[in-house]
Amino acid sequence: MLDDLKYRDGEVSVAGVRVRYRVAGPDNDRTPLVLVHGTAGSVDGHFGYIFPMMAYRQKVIALDWSDTEGATLELADLVAQVRAVIGDAVPVGPVTLLGYSLGACVAAQTAAELPGKVANLILVAGWLKTDTHQQMRNRIWRALRDQDSASITEYMTFCAFSPGFMNMKSLPEMVAAAGMLKMSGFVDRQMDLNTRIDIAEACETITAKTLVIGCTFDMMVPKHHSKQLFGAIEDARYTEIPSGHAVVHERAAELFHHIDMFTRAPGAHPAGTIIPAQKP
Amino acid sequence: MTLHSKIVIIGSGFAGLGMGIQLKRSGRADFVILERAQDVGGTWRDNHYPGVACDVPSHLYSFSYLPKPDWSRVFSPGPEIQAYMRQCAEDEGLMPHIRFGTEMLACRWDEDSALWTIETSQGDYTCNVLITGTGHLADSHMPKIPGIESFPGDLFHSADWNHEVALEGRRIGVVGSGASAIQIIPEMQKVAGELVVFQRSAPYMIPRWDRAFSEGEKRMFRRDPSTVEAMRSEIFWAGEYNFAQRRNVPRFLNEAKAMALGNLERNVADPDLRARLTPNYEVGCKRLLISNAYYPAMCAENTRLEASALAKIEGSTVYGASGESYDLDVLVFATGFEAVRPPFAARVFGREGISLDAHWDKGMQAYDSIAVHGYPNLFIINGPNTGLGHNSVVYIIEAQVNYILEALDHLEQNQVRLFEAAAEAEDAYMDRLQGRAEGTVWLAGGCKSWYVDERSGRLTLVWPDYAHSFRDENGHFHPEGYEMVPGPLAAE
Repeated sequence: MLDDLKYRDGEVSVAGVRVRYRVAGPDNDRTPLVLVHGTAGSVDGHFGYIFPMMAYRQKVIALDWSDTEGATLELADLVAQVRAVIGDAVPVGPVTLLGYSLGACVAAQTAAELPGKVANLILVAGWLKTDTHQQMRNRIWRALRDQDSASITEYMTFCAFSPGFMNMKSLPEMVAAAGMLKMSGFVDRQMDLNTRIDIAEACETITAKTLVIGCTFDMMVPKHHSKQLFGAIEDARYTEIPSGHAVVHERAAELFHHIDMFTRAPGAHPAGTIIPAQKP
Repeated sequence: MTLHSKIVIIGSGFAGLGMGIQLKRSGRADFVILERAQDVGGTWRDNHYPGVACDVPSHLYSFSYLPKPDWSRVFSPGPEIQAYMRQCAEDEGLMPHIRFGTEMLACRWDEDSALWTIETSQGDYTCNVLITGTGHLADSHMPKIPGIESFPGDLFHSADWNHEVALEGRRIGVVGSGASAIQIIPEMQKVAGELVVFQRSAPYMIPRWDRAFSEGEKRMFRRDPSTVEAMRSEIFWAGEYNFAQRRNVPRFLNEAKAMALGNLERNVADPDLRARLTPNYEVGCKRLLISNAYYPAMCAENTRLEASALAKIEGSTVYGASGESYDLDVLVFATGFEAVRPPFAARVFGREGISLDAHWDKGMQAYDSIAVHGYPNLFIINGPNTGLGHNSVVYIIEAQVNYILEALDHLEQNQVRLFEAAAEAEDAYMDRLQGRAEGTVWLAGGCKSWYVDERSGRLTLVWPDYAHSFRDENGHFHPEGYEMVPGPLAAE
């Protein structure tokens, strides 16, 4: 009796690697929505909630990043994967591009490169330029990784969730959640890329109608980064969710609300608007 | 003598009070609230059975604009909710507008005068705009049980609890396993000599994260209202998350199911009893219940579970559909309410002189879940497709109140004397809703529930989407869906 969402899997080759993506939802008056996950993520890991729920509203496409063959992972590699999926899944007409965390940096860069194609842009907990605070956290992560420390996933979990959310769970529950994170060489390469992000110039050229979503209690990409994106992108509006960085888990329904409202009418709020939170 | 008010509201539960407060706050004083009982509070006045409490945390289940920093618990008991409602009515100066002991008997639309006439137990009223706020849980549902009149002991419905009846040491039967029953059963188990529970179908049950607030917390809520607001928002969005279960997304359905079945397994050791307490339909198809006390009460030595419906009564002997019989002294019917066919609808007669109940012979429906073609100048709060399986109905009520306020502004500014939902707009709205309802757990979950109208198989009670989407879509007046006749408002 489960309502199994009908979806199709696609695959596209770019720079010698295969990139898999998933498509679901009806064609209607909304622009197809393309979802780009963040560090150590996947469609299921970061969009397990947003993908099926948005697919009841409109066409949704989400891709899983693939590791590349270069010595280091570069932003351009991930942008190329997103561009390839957009080209394959939506050959004609505009898209709304959503990126989360590192995926937001990828999405912003993509929007700068494809000004006609990316009509609307949603940046969730992204950033403009890696700062000292992020480098410090990344350095601790690197040290734990080099030591092959068992604490690394607990450290990542500690950084990802807000105190408020964590306090609704028990310590064993949080430890169990940490145990589900898997390390890999690809994650290492993403973490290295995270120390070198600078899309400030590209953001100045973005023409897409943009919604920037910052997370009030984000300790990994604090909300001042989202404010910087809000300033840097010409046609941007801003809203905030009282969540940690892991907003896709913590406040998935509130995130859905903002995405749903924006994809329904991207221009409902003029550029420069700080959209207030809905007060229940 | 006929009394005239510009606006008449039926009922003084959360809907009627919320409407009255906002009318008053918007500077409108020409309204009365008709209330059949002697106090405000709606379902929280009527339901005073032992153990009555709300399944939504109190900081959310309250008016957004009247926060209460000193709720005693996360899930406060029923009498505290009713006291809050009375306090709201008094603080907002609503009491002089309420006509207690005044039961609405019939509302009739008169096209010539463009007025509603309301016949009540205390004389007639007329009004330009009629607003019903009679709720989903206003009138008890009693199943027709053969031989019920032969029962010599005490027998009553949960919403009409007889506190005179002594329960200590007696043989008590509780009929039902829904939201009221699971609150009553633990209380009965404490006092009964023998308790028999008649269960037509087993509920899914998850733990209740209840606790008392400390004095320090209450002081914090008083000193810093933003802490109440933050908590309210957290509860609301956590509730919204669970709509994914109702939407029937396997991953989230399975999460909820695992939580409920894990709860059953932890609390019920006996495999036979556990099997009989395991639901045979999809989680969320009926209301997902929350209790920490139910399973322990079901496991108690003085409790017996009859895992079949109550079938017949022969004197003091009460039979389950399985054929099993029990001799009982007291029988409590926790069998719910007339929600799918609300009794108020049989008393509201529109342009053709037909009752709403007859008009809705294939199930309730309304444009924007609030207005019905053929029934001009009427708003229904908490009517068709406004129920929620996953969040606070007070939130829905506030959205509908805001809709009505905007409508009144529009009518006043444009000098409209008569407005009516357009038939095409109403049908188009219902088609959109039914499209959304398809595949949800209510229609595809394989259960019989009070959410679905048996006559049409349509989901008529529940809003088949997020609560926040209800506010986004129905929190503002849509004049384009109405036919309007200009002219000055009639007055008696």
